Amino acid sequence: MTAQEVRLCGLLLREHFGEVVEKVGTHLLRSGAQNLRTIIHETGLPLDLVKKSLCVLVQHGACNFRSGRKGPGCPTEYQASGDRILRILRYPRYIYTAKTLYGDTGELIIEELLQRGHMTMSSTVKTVADRLTQNMEGQGRSMDYSEVTSAFSKLVETQFLQRCPPMGGARNTKDSGSPPTPSTPATPGTPASTALLTPESFPDCYKVPHITLIGRGKRRHSSDDGEDQKSAKKAKMDPETHGDEGIYWQVNFERFHLHFRDQAVISAVANKLDQTCSEIVRTMLRMSEVTTSPSATCTKPLSANEIFRSLPASYNILRPILDQYLTLLVDDPMEFVGKAGESGGGMFVVNLHRALANLARATLESAVQERFGSRSARIFRLLLRKRHLEQKQVEDFAMIPAKEAKDMLYTLLSQNLVQLQEIPKTPDYAPSRTFYLYTVNQLPTARMLLQNCYKTVANLIERRLFETKESKRLLEKSQRIEAILASLQVSGAEPEQLTEVEEMITAPEKQQLESLRLHINKLDSAENQVDETMFLLEAYVSSTATSTA
Amino acid sequence: MSEEKMEREIDRRIELCQQFPHGITDQVIQNDMPHLEPQQRAAAINKLLSLGQLDLLRNSSGLLYRMKDAQSASKMKGSDNQEKLVYQIIEDAGNKGIWSRDIRFKSNLPLTEINKILKNLESKKLIKAVKSVAASKKKVYMLYNLQPDRSVTGGAWYSDQDFESEFVEVLNQQCFKFLQTKADMSRDSKQSPMVQRNSSFATSHEVWKYICELGISKVDLSMDDIETILNTLIYDGKVEMTVIAAKEGTVGSVDGQMKLYRGVNPVIQPTGLVKTPCGLCPVFDDCHEGGEISPSNCIYMTEWLDF
Repeated sequence: MTAQEVRLCGLLLREHFGEVVEKVGTHLLRSGAQNLRTIIHETGLPLDLVKKSLCVLVQHGACNFRSGRKGPGCPTEYQASGDRILRILRYPRYIYTAKTLYGDTGELIIEELLQRGHMTMSSTVKTVADRLTQNMEGQGRSMDYSEVTSAFSKLVETQFLQRCPPMGGARNTKDSGSPPTPSTPATPGTPASTALLTPESFPDCYKVPHITLIGRGKRRHSSDDGEDQKSAKKAKMDPETHGDEGIYWQVNFERFHLHFRDQAVISAVANKLDQTCSEIVRTMLRMSEVTTSPSATCTKPLSANEIFRSLPASYNILRPILDQYLTLLVDDPMEFVGKAGESGGGMFVVNLHRALANLARATLESAVQERFGSRSARIFRLLLRKRHLEQKQVEDFAMIPAKEAKDMLYTLLSQNLVQLQEIPKTPDYAPSRTFYLYTVNQLPTARMLLQNCYKTVANLIERRLFETKESKRLLEKSQRIEAILASLQVSGAEPEQLTEVEEMITAPEKQQLESLRLHINKLDSAENQVDETMFLLEAYVSSTATSTA
Repeated sequence: MSEEKMEREIDRRIELCQQFPHGITDQVIQNDMPHLEPQQRAAAINKLLSLGQLDLLRNSSGLLYRMKDAQSASKMKGSDNQEKLVYQIIEDAGNKGIWSRDIRFKSNLPLTEINKILKNLESKKLIKAVKSVAASKKKVYMLYNLQPDRSVTGGAWYSDQDFESEFVEVLNQQCFKFLQTKADMSRDSKQSPMVQRNSSFATSHEVWKYICELGISKVDLSMDDIETILNTLIYDGKVEMTVIAAKEGTVGSVDGQMKLYRGVNPVIQPTGLVKTPCGLCPVFDDCHEGGEISPSNCIYMTEWLDF
């Protein structure tokens, strides 16, 4: 983990879980796997606080434990995973995606699971139904559990949710067939299975358990008797099991990432070509959602006949036109779609890795363009295309006067976006007898930009915290006044009292509050935007890593 | 007697040379005038050489003597051997011209001599100095009536050794507009997608014709020049190119291929990182919490937030 990543993780932990968890988390990230005693000793925190922070981290999947490396008698070691903590930044995007795909129910399910980390299906369904019912109070309806359950099952079917890998007992090693023992993650002292098993290695990963859960969501203030009775009965029956004890669910981030990646490819096709082409690519990606492995270079080949049948009904284009569109997609220099054979009217694949590489390259080019100007961007793109060029050749190809081209090249070189390759003519590297070639390496530059993104997000968060701290007094005052107003309204006060209380905030203070709110919103949305860049670059870097492995 | 004989022989030789404009070898002279001794022959040849009427060349079989034009012979009258040597070197350099240091290497004459000779020749309007575009302080010398080569003057993009960046920019814009309107027209035509794409392509020949007809260029531009401009558009990311096979003889085809250009849209919107001040910050590397430059007191952020 680089220093920037650790800093960002620390800030995210502090914001979501508090300073104690931040201390423990950053310590684990910096020092790798450690056992409980060492953590206590080095962070200087009391034992119970450390235990609780570790609980929180494990509950959210940010920390894993396993028995010590030095032998069977060693105490367990805890290891934090920085990647998981960085996902916290992306929570709003996950929730929004769930909302677009599965409506409000899906949105709330994902939100609950993200907030709690791991939850059983029954408790999730109950909580979500309650929240939905509260929202629908004005309409006099309440949410049925079955609707929520069906939404949950749909989410599991499309693999957006998955079961948490069960923790084995003290003696269990890699026993995937053992029934899930309800050793909840709340006791980190229990030694767990040795290897870190992925959730997918369990055959029941995506199986929805059969639960008996009948009822409706509860309202916050139950006003009529019937509801009271029912809720009383419910309270009595709460200890009853619903048939899924010990089966905890978590959000499957990888699946969401695949979805984001597909969306990025589709929007790139829509930008470059046109709407119909992007619909075709969307259909192809949807058909290969569950058949393609996450790290595949390209999707499974699909025949043109299949694509034709699976196109949405609103796009009734003729078969020959579809063939033409497919040929267009294949001929495009960006190579989003490739042809893999001739059977069935032509077999087509979506080149995922190449699409990601093109998108990452476009990101790099856009970053250079915005920062250094369009002429520097021209030089950058030229070097990306032609790999190695001498300074004179750069000037000639880019048609930029020699002085300016030299200036721009040196600026790019000092920012490490462009590298210099020396090719000597003689065994001694005499400067007059060596070729100096400029080149751009896409992968290291992408990594560098990714680190810059981490630093940027950390800067934005710090600025946000700073702004909040500056106006702390003002915020507290406004909160007090709001509380007073609310209590007055409930107890039925007169309008004059209300206005009197409202005027305790002066106009310039109101303005300051308003501008503060705008600032915080701006910083928040900027974090989300940088996170999009981060996602693209991370996906690109990991795609190159798997293809070389 | 020998003087007369010499004169007669010289005339005879001149006649011979004129008969054989490519040059005559020693052998031919011997065959022609067998009664001459080699010494006298050599003396006569030397006299002609010093008069500047003969050129001494060498080929695979031996030495050749060739008649010089009367015109060029008259030019060199009044100049001495060194100047003739320098002149010859410059003439050999042909189109590209030669630098004064290279003249020194080839003739082994000292620098001061060279400079004097060059000044002399220039005043006689036999050679001229042309400033090279690659190194502005360097001067290359070539014969007066020769056109300097493109590599020296830089071709169409340079006027008086200055790179015409505005001219290039204007051409850039025009080509791009042409290709873009073509692409928009084809998109609006609502025909089948293949026809749409094919009609949005323009060959380099078409672009060249368009630019010529626009008349914004004072200099004649060739198709290669237009292709270099179109390449810069490719490096700007606004245009893409494909090569197709074309029949020989169709307009604009070079070696059986044609280059087609098409305006394209960018693949992504400007990336999220550059929408924040940190993405564009010049002091990004110096910024850290608690330092002089930090997120809390960043003036760029303050400006951006109040925007």
